[in-house]
Amino acid sequence: MSKIVSVHSFRGGTGKSNTTANLASLLAMGGARVGVVDTDIQSPGIHILFNLDESEMGHSLNDYLWGKCAIKDCAHDVTGHLGTQVKGQIFLIPSSIKAGEIARILREGYDVGLLNDGFRDVVTEMGLDYLMIDTHPGLNEETLLSIAISDALVIIMRPDQQDYQGTAVTVDVARKLDVPKMLMIVNKVPQAFDLDDVRSRVEQTYKVTVTAVLPHSDEMMTLASSGIFSLKYPDHPVTQGYKAVVAELQR
Amino acid sequence: MNQQQFERAVQELRAGKEDIRPSDVVVYSEPLRSSLTQAIRLGRISLTDFSKLLEVERTQAQQLIALLVERHLFYVSAFTSPTDTYYETRLSASTRPMTRLRPDVWKKIDD
Repeated sequence: MSKIVSVHSFRGGTGKSNTTANLASLLAMGGARVGVVDTDIQSPGIHILFNLDESEMGHSLNDYLWGKCAIKDCAHDVTGHLGTQVKGQIFLIPSSIKAGEIARILREGYDVGLLNDGFRDVVTEMGLDYLMIDTHPGLNEETLLSIAISDALVIIMRPDQQDYQGTAVTVDVARKLDVPKMLMIVNKVPQAFDLDDVRSRVEQTYKVTVTAVLPHSDEMMTLASSGIFSLKYPDHPVTQGYKAVVAELQR
Repeated sequence: MNQQQFERAVQELRAGKEDIRPSDVVVYSEPLRSSLTQAIRLGRISLTDFSKLLEVERTQAQQLIALLVERHLFYVSAFTSPTDTYYETRLSASTRPMTRLRPDVWKKIDD
């Protein structure tokens, strides 16, 4: 049975798109058909990780939301862009990176319900095993709706006081919307921190199991979104953390 | 769901004319709220299963579903057979502008 997975963080810059791309790639490595939707319409970016050039984009999510095409027409097979042998397939539904189109959607808004109907359609029509939703940070009605229809919610936070408070709100929303599976990732943890201590403090704060505590990685910074980290560094501790999350999603 | 909970559920679904979005269900009382979140994730549910989920009589389930259909959260599915009626949950309820969010949803989350 297919699963809809939302990846969310209350604040920006937590590594949400990077995490979404890595989880999707590892799922596809395992043979799954995975869809990835960039709903960060205001500041899209996940297409960079999948090396999808603007010239290759054709239709984007914006076109679907404006009624110009079916959502399936916005899905780009990026499996071949990963630069390695992948058993499954990855389809990316990018948001437009044209300034005028971003400005238009911010000005006019869009029907978030239509977006969610699109999620359901694309899962069915493309026979996806997983649909990963890379959400916009913060909380708005779009986020609430994504959480309301998701089978799993991956919450990403950094060990930062601002993240601690905001994440509590997200966890609360997820509980009120009965998300069947909530997975917490603590990302970009400084090397000087004790990872077990961070895990324990976060678990005590939110009463949620932390699936992965990912250390800050110079290799990740150096890669600078030019590829999928877990494929380039399969044995790195960060990749092991991603694999732990994938194992939970598959369960 | 006891009689008091059923009457409250009917009252809550009758209050308001606008379409119900999946996120709006947080404002409803139990067990209506959790049953609806489950039905939304399932995508499709039969009348029989809905009445089992809520632990109500079939006629009571029909009454609740009629209100959910009226407010466009549910619609009759093409999977409906002579033996049972199936419903699908609609995610695109859009009778209110995006700039006007339901304030009680956010209030309920803050409570």
